[in-house]
Amino acid sequence: MKRIATVLALAAAAAACSRKPVVRPAHTAAAAAEVPGYELRMGKAVFDHYCATCHGASGGGDGFNSFNLDPRPRDLSAADFQKRKSDPELEDAVRRGGAGVGLSPLMPPWGHTLSDRQISQVVLYVRSLAAHGP
Amino acid sequence: MPLRRLFAATSLVFLAVLAISPAKNALRPYRSLQRRFRKLGAARAKSLKAAREYMARPVAIQQFWLRDFDNRVDRCTTCHLGVSDAAMAGAPEPFGLHPRTPHTPGDFDRFGCTSCHGGQGPATSREDAHGTSREAGPPMTPLADIEAGCGRCHGGESVAEAPTLSRGRTLLARSGCYACHLVRGHEKFRSAAPPLETESLKTGGTWIRQWLADPRGTDANATMPNFQLTKKQIEALAHYIFSLAPSEELARKIQAAGAEPPGDAENGKKIFAESRCISCHTVEGKGNGSAPELSTVASRASRGWLIEFLREPHAIDPGTLMPGFHFTEAESRDVVDYFESEFRDFNAPPDILAPIRVNQTLAEEGARLFRTAGCFSCHGRTVSEAEKFGPPLDGIGEKKAFSLDFGRRTDLPRTLPAWLNAKITSPRSFAPGLKMPSFGFEPEDARAVVTALLAMTAAPVPEAFRASPEALPVPLPAGRVGELFDRYRCLSCHRVGDRGGDISTAPLTFEGSKVRREWVVNYLVLPFSIRPILPERMPIFRMSREEATAIADAMETFWVDPSIPEDPFAGQPAADRDPEEGARLYVALGCRACHIVGTSGGYYGPPLTDTPSRLKPGWLYSWLKGPQRWRADVRCPNYGLTDRDALRLTAYLESLKPQNASAAAAGGAR
Repeated sequence: MKRIATVLALAAAAAACSRKPVVRPAHTAAAAAEVPGYELRMGKAVFDHYCATCHGASGGGDGFNSFNLDPRPRDLSAADFQKRKSDPELEDAVRRGGAGVGLSPLMPPWGHTLSDRQISQVVLYVRSLAAHGP
Repeated sequence: MPLRRLFAATSLVFLAVLAISPAKNALRPYRSLQRRFRKLGAARAKSLKAAREYMARPVAIQQFWLRDFDNRVDRCTTCHLGVSDAAMAGAPEPFGLHPRTPHTPGDFDRFGCTSCHGGQGPATSREDAHGTSREAGPPMTPLADIEAGCGRCHGGESVAEAPTLSRGRTLLARSGCYACHLVRGHEKFRSAAPPLETESLKTGGTWIRQWLADPRGTDANATMPNFQLTKKQIEALAHYIFSLAPSEELARKIQAAGAEPPGDAENGKKIFAESRCISCHTVEGKGNGSAPELSTVASRASRGWLIEFLREPHAIDPGTLMPGFHFTEAESRDVVDYFESEFRDFNAPPDILAPIRVNQTLAEEGARLFRTAGCFSCHGRTVSEAEKFGPPLDGIGEKKAFSLDFGRRTDLPRTLPAWLNAKITSPRSFAPGLKMPSFGFEPEDARAVVTALLAMTAAPVPEAFRASPEALPVPLPAGRVGELFDRYRCLSCHRVGDRGGDISTAPLTFEGSKVRREWVVNYLVLPFSIRPILPERMPIFRMSREEATAIADAMETFWVDPSIPEDPFAGQPAADRDPEEGARLYVALGCRACHIVGTSGGYYGPPLTDTPSRLKPGWLYSWLKGPQRWRADVRCPNYGLTDRDALRLTAYLESLKPQNASAAAAGGAR
């Protein structure tokens, strides 16, 4: 019994030491690292289907419908944009649309069309556009 | 004394032997893994209590026992201890958290592990469970092909959230794989390949040789694979094809058409453009690509055959996707003479359409080859299940690598996916004399086909676990309208229920509830572009008003959804009819990003100015309440509108006034 208690105490101590890097948002970096492919692949499928029309295949804000829009769609690959917006902010914008977050209503809300999972997948994919973007 | 000693010795031996089994058990790798997991869990735990719980876990076999799913026993969680433990996100394998999928977390108890991942559920050693040892059963599905797991339960060509599997299944059907290989659910598959009887009147020896040597090199839209025929084989098949003849009447018509006086190529050019041929065909690669490339068609087919095919396509090829157009005698001549003037291969030898003088011996050899090379599977009239040329494919996804013939391919890793990949990319590389043709798949497409193949199990999963797309029992019209549907081949492009092609984005399943009858009639008589951005547009068939009316009436009768109200405003307060409020909503929601009203807006969705003459208010209301219900993949977002807002928007759209004489009205003039 005593031995188990010691082990536990040691384990708790070890846990205390190693805790700090574990705090991560559940579905961003962690998911991408664990599952190379799946979530990102689904995100790409959602993006290509729903977003690329205006935001362009590589997120540059240059989809073929972008030329009808004023203001023009956001360049999602831009480094400062990627840096400025957190994942929850991006998810919120996708979910509630431009009008929902005080921007142009030309970006529709997708919260009734896409599931929460699809929204987090597409945000994951949008993050990957920064790396590949110009 | 010696007896006693002997007894002592045997007792000791006996004891030792007795100890072997528990010792072996105690030393099994999963036990040390479980002890490691305890420590890892305790180290990651956020509270002392949680850490204690990890440490208190017994070392024991863990399993899912799924009595109603083939009595599956999956012990994978004996080692993969963290699959449903959120604290194990990012933990080293085998302890990591299972990534989220449509079925995880949440469905472990229903599906276990092997139903998606394959492998040997009851085994408790790594090699046996993953199927990497020679003695083990079929191995696990590699993660790169994991969507094969979806395909074991999910039937149908398109599986949501499994894009690779869906692509693979589309390619299997499009490439005609089911014509040679029997696969459960595809027993009735018919290839779209044309019958060969009119080839001798259609093309020439040079062209047919070129085609047989490399179909896709000759026409990028070709679906016929490359059979890697030798020069001798090509010669024999060419002679065989030219020894065939159509009915005397058809032959006479084709020959007579070829001898007709020249037509007006300028007029042909106009008709070609207005008939919207590139909705299916391509011209220099531009167009849909589900029918032959036309930029060199005059060097591919004779004038007589082309004219006759435009006049009566279904007499030449009863199974073609090509609709019958109402071209006059002169017009079909004009179109073909436009082809003759512009759509030629100017580098082709002048004799490209010169016929072959049939050598009987070669033709007989070709006839044999037509059977032995499997050509009849696609080009034959009917092929029974027993006659299927290739081996059945059910169960191919469960083959053990050791049971596969790798032949000459000593370079390949000894795995099923590697074997399948090589088999479909370079099928003849395994041994001389193999018969499977090569399809020229891009690497990504080959991967998708492998995924679709890995989903093919020997036995189907139990009924309760099968998820096939909901079959919509939509009646296809018979009688007069059925004939019209056949003549215009509506189902080549449009979907109705679960039948039909995917060239058009407008399914006709609820067409009767959607569009106004007068509009349908006018549109069928003279179609116009609803969405100008699409290269695929409704061809102008020059339907008579009487035919158009018959089709519109059938739509109103059969293709309706009872949940769509005739008058959505009935019983609603008058305030919900307010177009002013609707107009404000139209702006606030940003509909103009995709739709044009008046002169401004995006052109992704259909322009809405002529809505009142086109769409029924009940449809508008039902669509606005959730577009995806009517077309699952439509991009128009669901705004989650209240009934009142949907009604107001409907009222606004219904109040729009066409600014100038709309195209629909123009159609009425014909």
